[in-house]
Amino acid sequence: MIGGRRPLRGRKLADRRVRVERPHSPYFRYTGPGQLVAKAAASGPTTPSGRLLARIRGHLFGRPLAMEEEVGERLPKKKALAIFSSDAISSSAYATEEILRVLVLASAGAILVSIEIAVAIALLLAVVAVSYRQICRAYPNGGGAYAVAKENIGGIASLVAAAALLIDYVMTVAVSTASAIAQTYSVIPSLYEIRIEIAVIAIALITIANLRGLRESGNIFAVPTYLFVGLALLMVGLGSVRIATGGAVDIAQPDAVPLGTEGIGLFLLLKAFASGSVALTGTEAIANGVPAFKPPESRNAANTLVAMAVLLAILFIGITVVADGFGILPTTEGGQTVVALVASAVFGASSPLFYAFQASTALILFLAANTSFNAFPRLAALLAEDGYMPRQFSFRGDRLAFSWGIVLLAAIAAALLAAFDGNTTALIPLYAVGVFVTFTLSQSGMIRHWARERGPGWAWRATINAIGGILTLVVLIVVATVKFVDGAYLVVILIPTLVAVMLFIQRQYARSARELAIRPDYVAGPPIREERVIVPVPGINRAVIQAVNVARSIADDVRAVYIFDQPDRVESVRADWERQVPGVSLVVIESPYRALAGPLIAYLDVLDHAWPTDRPEPITFVVIPEYVAKSWWERILYNQSARRLRTLLLGRPHTVVVNVPYRREDPEAFEQARPGAAAGRDTSG
Amino acid sequence: MSESHTPVFRRAVVALAGEPGDERIVRLVSELARPIHGELAAVHVVEVGWSLPLDADIAGRSEEVQRILDNAESVAEESKVRLESVLLQARDVGAALVDEATERQADLLVLGLPYRKRFGGDFAIGRTIPYVLKNAPCAVWVVREPIPEDQP
Repeated sequence: MIGGRRPLRGRKLADRRVRVERPHSPYFRYTGPGQLVAKAAASGPTTPSGRLLARIRGHLFGRPLAMEEEVGERLPKKKALAIFSSDAISSSAYATEEILRVLVLASAGAILVSIEIAVAIALLLAVVAVSYRQICRAYPNGGGAYAVAKENIGGIASLVAAAALLIDYVMTVAVSTASAIAQTYSVIPSLYEIRIEIAVIAIALITIANLRGLRESGNIFAVPTYLFVGLALLMVGLGSVRIATGGAVDIAQPDAVPLGTEGIGLFLLLKAFASGSVALTGTEAIANGVPAFKPPESRNAANTLVAMAVLLAILFIGITVVADGFGILPTTEGGQTVVALVASAVFGASSPLFYAFQASTALILFLAANTSFNAFPRLAALLAEDGYMPRQFSFRGDRLAFSWGIVLLAAIAAALLAAFDGNTTALIPLYAVGVFVTFTLSQSGMIRHWARERGPGWAWRATINAIGGILTLVVLIVVATVKFVDGAYLVVILIPTLVAVMLFIQRQYARSARELAIRPDYVAGPPIREERVIVPVPGINRAVIQAVNVARSIADDVRAVYIFDQPDRVESVRADWERQVPGVSLVVIESPYRALAGPLIAYLDVLDHAWPTDRPEPITFVVIPEYVAKSWWERILYNQSARRLRTLLLGRPHTVVVNVPYRREDPEAFEQARPGAAAGRDTSG
Repeated sequence: MSESHTPVFRRAVVALAGEPGDERIVRLVSELARPIHGELAAVHVVEVGWSLPLDADIAGRSEEVQRILDNAESVAEESKVRLESVLLQARDVGAALVDEATERQADLLVLGLPYRKRFGGDFAIGRTIPYVLKNAPCAVWVVREPIPEDQP
């Protein structure tokens, strides 16, 4: 990188100085001997269309960020509770409804059981929360189900956990968005008709925000959670008082789902329990994000987890009790949600508090969807680093976000929403299976963790996780069984399929790594193979001459190959060649079937076969002259044969393809490179 | 100018000697330039002996010389200040700095005064600083390197 030197005068004659240009400066920075760091300009576009695209990208996603600009912020407990709990707490907005939608199939008396089911789910939540507290303490660097299973169980179990988590994150986006939209059309019923469009736009906006490198640590993200929690607690409190004082009356619901005639058997109860267990989704988020807490990280995370579980349990049971007290039933498709009916009954259908509650519910649900946009790409990046997903998933985009993961998550979630018509209840059966698979594997991993560590109190710690593991396994079996025909079968098929795909990818990468590996004691020696160069030519022109010059700089054995289908031109081409390109032999091949690539490749094969068998095969360079087109439409006109030839030669053994582009800006350089051109200039000067 | 006033300048030329103290000087001037949107030029002069032509290919080839200016750019960037880096070859460092400051119509020229531990320790004032102080067309700051604690 040697720059030009510009002389400058000084105040005195002897004070001349020379300014040395620094051509690397706009693009690179030296940081050590032979070590450069690229600046943003080095990755910048060079063409006008590229610059336009970069400007549009800049407006949409923001300017590219350097690695050092990554913000690592520690969260206090209050902020962390709001940010990590939105997924779990928001599930209280639809969990009660899912229980009621099952129980409504039986008689009115069955609806009363909803409270017992909610309490049972809350107890399960308590067990899961206590188990996850242990993970917070054991894995201060973040104990996602994949990390725990990988370290303690390993092999397929960790991949099952990863597959279940990936499905869980996709479902969180789909279910939360669907529910958020449902809260919206509970207030503005006319929006029901365009719910899919709204959902897709909402996902697109969240995607763009995340591609811009959205940070969840901002105060703005704590507002919806605390607003929802505050209003929901007020609603539950006021509702409970009215029930206790006898002020609660059954509300009129013309669009309520008609009560069924099924008997309240064990299957129905289990199905209601399985539906309501979606309340537990998102419980693991805090254990995954322990490093984001302020020190002491583990203790703060464990305490925050307890606070979250308590809040979720109060809200879930409270909403169920109030819904029961006011005789609220789920509505038919397109009607108000159960939580909206509860709010309407307690606050009044047109009160500002009702609208505020509905807005906060929609907001916390969108926030819950957003949490997956953080978790899914990170897990995909981890899997990519371990070789189980394509490497692109571990690459960070311009804004330091894992763009591939974000876009994939958005695409699948939007497709799911469209496929399930934006119906929360239809999506729920797909949700719970993945969640309980991750719970069970995390707890199982923790049992092995304690057994291996054998630290103080390991036995009772292992017992807690064992109870959690057994309980979540039982629930998993129940959920998978009773919800199987409703859609859980899709997840039961999808998890092993994903595991198989991940194993396939890992084996592919492992094989290519084996093939590319060199022994540590290997030292590259000088080249011992012979080289020859073939230049396919369409005649004589500047691009061909330039390619031949490049060919001559590679090896002495250079042959130009002219393939023709018009014999009348051959003699003149040969005569011109011998006159204008002396010293380079021209091989002419007649192609009566008018093919170009086929005869050339056949000629290369013949050359290979003719090579003496006692000598190592030579490397054949195929130097292809190309005319550089300036605009997109010119690209259609030129180099089609060259492109086809290059594709066909790709992967041919012992063959290297070299493209020699001829640019329109090159004529001057071409003339200067002409032998005798310099002499000509000298004489004229 | 009283000591409590923030010095005001529009254009400053910062002389880089390739010493460890360069970073401190660039940081100091950058912090002062940021609120007033001052323009900064960091100049490193490679002295060329009379036995070689002045435009001999010396500085451009040296990664070490480039690194001196790249580091300065990096420090200024951290302070969110734009800094133009200038690499010069000259017979005399002082004259080149003065000429560069004159050409750029700089109103401040900043130089570092390094501390040498050899021979009992002293400030190496050399001949550049006196020349600049005498001939610069603008204000000159000489930023003294702190005396190491282990020195008497």
